[in-house]
Amino acid sequence: MASTDAASAKRRPRPLSPHLLIYKFTITMVMSIVHRICGAGLYVGVLLLAWFLIAASTDAAAFATFSAFIQSIIGRLVLFLFTWALFNHLFGGIRHLIWDSGYGLDPPMRDYLAWATLICGFGLTLIVWAIGYAVR
Amino acid sequence: MSDNSGLRTPLSRVRFLGASRQGTGETRIVHITAVALVVLSAVFVVMMLDLLHMDYNGVRATLGQPIPAILLVAFIIAGVIHMQIGMRSIIIDYVKGRAREWALAANACFCALLAVACVYAALRLSFT
Repeated sequence: MASTDAASAKRRPRPLSPHLLIYKFTITMVMSIVHRICGAGLYVGVLLLAWFLIAASTDAAAFATFSAFIQSIIGRLVLFLFTWALFNHLFGGIRHLIWDSGYGLDPPMRDYLAWATLICGFGLTLIVWAIGYAVR
Repeated sequence: MSDNSGLRTPLSRVRFLGASRQGTGETRIVHITAVALVVLSAVFVVMMLDLLHMDYNGVRATLGQPIPAILLVAFIIAGVIHMQIGMRSIIIDYVKGRAREWALAANACFCALLAVACVYAALRLSFT
């Protein structure tokens, strides 16, 4: 591998494919990267679930610390983002399952599915938070 | 997956396995866990909404019940497998060389530890 790399470095640089930024932004493109970002966000966000479970299984003091954090403004913001990332990734995942079974890849449908992911993700987040605040 | 017996031709060893040499096994696991997580995430969200206004004892009593505990452990296991493969594909896309090996190892360790910690805590809620 090393000799190949050294040889290619001496030659003039290979032509590059057009950069991402020259393309017109499309909704499928945006929702593709947002899906991945949400997945990565959930990867970190699951630490919140781990904290919750460990605190609940430890003692009342540990649970109170978690409770205080999640009820703070920052805690609520993190939880809101986690909820949105979960639902966006969930609907994005359903969209990928539809695509992987061979449906919805044609021009109008793939855009509808991408918009549906965005709208359903935000919509369900707001509904769940409304239920959370309404039911006491 | 790999067969080194020498009876198989080199072509048959790589055929259908793709550029990653892993075949479609990983994709299948992502699909299976994804379908499971569609259901389990919905259950998880409803469960968390139920716990939202409970105190410490209420949360412990609810999560100590068999059905919530079983569903929670299922959610954790499916979720951790799914996120390990997802982060693996992100790392393979963006990280190169030796750093990739370290990142993949860190990913595996993080996911394994997270799974053990969450399952341990969930079971402890049921058995203490």
